[in-house]
Amino acid sequence: MPNEDMLQINGLAKRFGGLMVTQDVSFTVRRGGRKALIGPNGAGKTTLFNLMSGVYPLDLGTISLDGARIDHLPSRKRIAAGLSRSFQNIRLMPHLSVIENVMLGQHSQIVGPLALFNPIGLMRGNQARKAAEDRLKRAGLDVDPDGPVSGLPYGTRKRIEVVRALMSNPKLLMLDEPAAGLNPKETSELSSFLKEEAESGLTLLVVEHDMSFVHDLCDETLVLNFGRLIYDGPTGEVQNDPAVREAYLGTRRVSNAGGDRAA
Amino acid sequence: MSGYASGIVAILCINLIFAYGVYVTAAAGQLNLGGAGYQAIGAYAAAVLSTQGWTPGWGTIPAAMIISALVGFLIAFPVLRTRGVYMVLATFAFAQVVSGVLLRTSLFGGAIGMVVPDYLPLSVLILAAVLTTLFVFFLMASRFGLAIRAIHDDEAVATIMGVDVRGMQVTVFTIGGALAGLSGALYAHYFSFVEAQYFNPNLSIFVLLFVLIGGTQTAWGPLAGSLFFTLIPEALRIGGSWRFVVFGVTIVLMMAIRPEGMITRTLIARISSLFHRRPSSSALSLPNARPDLPDARMGDQHAK
Amino acid sequence: MAAAADVTFQRNILIKAAFGSAALIALALAVFLGGHVIAQQIISGLMLGAIYLIVAVAFTLTIGVLNFLNFTIPSLFMLTGMIAWALLKSGLLSFSGSWSWLIALFGGVVVATVASLLVERFTYRYFKAKHGDATEHAIPLVSSLGFLLIFENLVILAFGSESQRFPVPFKADLHLFGLVIGIPQIVSLVSALIVVAALSYVLKQTKIGRALRTIAENPEIASLLGVEVTQVVPVLFLLTGMLCGLAAALFTVNYGDVSPFMGDNIGTKAIAGMVLGGIGSIWGAIIGGLIVGLTETMSVHFLGGDSVEMVIWGLLLIVIIVAPRGLFGHAALGKGKL
Repeated sequence: MPNEDMLQINGLAKRFGGLMVTQDVSFTVRRGGRKALIGPNGAGKTTLFNLMSGVYPLDLGTISLDGARIDHLPSRKRIAAGLSRSFQNIRLMPHLSVIENVMLGQHSQIVGPLALFNPIGLMRGNQARKAAEDRLKRAGLDVDPDGPVSGLPYGTRKRIEVVRALMSNPKLLMLDEPAAGLNPKETSELSSFLKEEAESGLTLLVVEHDMSFVHDLCDETLVLNFGRLIYDGPTGEVQNDPAVREAYLGTRRVSNAGGDRAA
Repeated sequence: MSGYASGIVAILCINLIFAYGVYVTAAAGQLNLGGAGYQAIGAYAAAVLSTQGWTPGWGTIPAAMIISALVGFLIAFPVLRTRGVYMVLATFAFAQVVSGVLLRTSLFGGAIGMVVPDYLPLSVLILAAVLTTLFVFFLMASRFGLAIRAIHDDEAVATIMGVDVRGMQVTVFTIGGALAGLSGALYAHYFSFVEAQYFNPNLSIFVLLFVLIGGTQTAWGPLAGSLFFTLIPEALRIGGSWRFVVFGVTIVLMMAIRPEGMITRTLIARISSLFHRRPSSSALSLPNARPDLPDARMGDQHAK
Repeated sequence: MAAAADVTFQRNILIKAAFGSAALIALALAVFLGGHVIAQQIISGLMLGAIYLIVAVAFTLTIGVLNFLNFTIPSLFMLTGMIAWALLKSGLLSFSGSWSWLIALFGGVVVATVASLLVERFTYRYFKAKHGDATEHAIPLVSSLGFLLIFENLVILAFGSESQRFPVPFKADLHLFGLVIGIPQIVSLVSALIVVAALSYVLKQTKIGRALRTIAENPEIASLLGVEVTQVVPVLFLLTGMLCGLAAALFTVNYGDVSPFMGDNIGTKAIAGMVLGGIGSIWGAIIGGLIVGLTETMSVHFLGGDSVEMVIWGLLLIVIIVAPRGLFGHAALGKGKL
């Protein structure tokens, strides 16, 4: 069955000047799967996300989502094709309120030019707003929807970004260090929220340094080192893999990889 | 209403519509320092159509709007290739070229200007200003408004969220052209006279200042800016150069104390919570929209 | 990296050489074909261009280092001329006899420089925008527009809006090969070249110049490297004030007229010159200023006085859209959000 895999990456390569930032990266994520992408700093994890979301054009390789090629699509059309993402550094819009940021995530879902002129900001009871508020609540975020995003705690903003990415009803959600800067309670809330979403059909690809979060959420793990994939298998065995051990040796142990987190 | 008062109201209406024309692009993060060029096109289009009798009755006004919208649309493509300082200068240069062409073309009366035959009553100006204000408020409350505000904040993320950044930018330039053109056409008909010298760089600068000092975060900004800078000098009875000195001092102080403009989203939220009685609103407890930059910075370092 | 820099360097040298020789050939051709009338136009164009280029250098320095389009520059230019005229008229300088015009101009330059430092206190301090936001990056630009209004209108209130005669001390003209060249014109061109050469030296060789160039690269890294940004930036505004003052003094001596609006035209033409040459490049500002000066006198000669604006701004619009780097600009400069 060809559509068993939600995401198929084949022979991905990208060069920046003389530097090969990713080469010959091939992997799949099965439908409803929860896969982690780990690797030392500078391994090319965020670059891989940027290639997949179309920030940079590919040099070589193909990306297929749900059986259809998306690598030829411009960046803005990939979200409508079902690929949504969050960012490593929080990229919420500073001048939009919480609810407006979340509703921006619905942009790819609107149909036709008339829908652009739907006055979503005028009536509080409209459907789009309700759906956004609902999603915020389900993610366990009890914030003033009309307040500014900028004064909120780091962990809250991080999770608002996840909710925004979910508003496009993606097939594949790519999260770039979603647990970085979250306290243990927030981390476990996020993990169970994402598991719920995955059970209703969402496929997840998560870059994360926090290995306990990875163990909790993801059944499979990819390890990237110097732009190459060195491990693709069950999360439980990643620590015992010789290539992975070598990649981290001298820098840090895998189980400790979360130690140098940003926040 | 005395002639003096109605003159002020007319200028206020024209400035307001003009300011909204510049505002829609500023709301999407594009600074247009060539507003006078778009307004001149609308004014001269109305003047020529009215003199030549090519359009029936008040058809000059929609026709002028369409012409300036078309120019706004066409000029958007080259202008949007530029960024930052270059965009400011490109729009500025555009306005200078327009004024140069007007001065040199005999159809437009050259430096002498043109008399516009059809006179427009003040009530039409007021109606147009009210409709424009409602239109821009509606626009900013729509998904379109949300998308252009997202572009203003972060083009790259807006693109990834599925926003057609280029298409939106072209659209705001077109709408901006139409509104500036409308203000020009109303000017031409109300004052029954147009001259190229009126549409000078100072006019472009003033209208951009109305918008930036009023605030670009909400559609209230241009309204506040136009009201403030048109009415305060009249109320204080200061004229001539003192008016501009006060204007300049206000600008410098505003930029120093409240650079986000007079009206901000936080201010609107605070006012509306007075009416809605939602004391739990966190907007109340937050002094101003400020992101925690240190956090974002840390993320940046982490990325490297 | 070094190789790439070498290539750019050589390319720049080639372009400069090409421009220099093209200008000489054009000059010779024009004199040959058009005779003295054209040659005379070219000389006036270069003299006018000398004034534009000094102001263009002032613009390009501020944009190059701070990414800030300083709109007070026209008013600093105007302040010099009007203050000099007012000093002369007040009779305060009668003690200095026949040199009072020079002291008056010096006084004008001092006032413009002080004004420029005042501007610095109100614009650069708010330079660090809070968000990556277009309208907030425009804060210094908007402040500078405010100062432009304040300076111009205060001068109008103090001295009226008419243009005033500034007595020109030079009577003699040089006659060379049948061409009339004013002594002030020669003074302009020579001092423009000296000043720019001195400025290049300062930027390349001195500690303060290196500090400025580091800030231009990246203000944050500059402060990490120990550059006292808050102390170096005023130097930039000092230079801006002095350059504008010098240009205005030369203009006043050349044309013998001052008015509260004298800076507007010069300022916009200097911006045009700066963009033509490439934002951020001193050499670009020099060549661009001269081109604008030449274009202006030529279009007055061939197309009439009211065509100047259209020709120069049309040219500029095309350059911005087709080749925004101009002749010598850097790709990245001026493109940051504004």
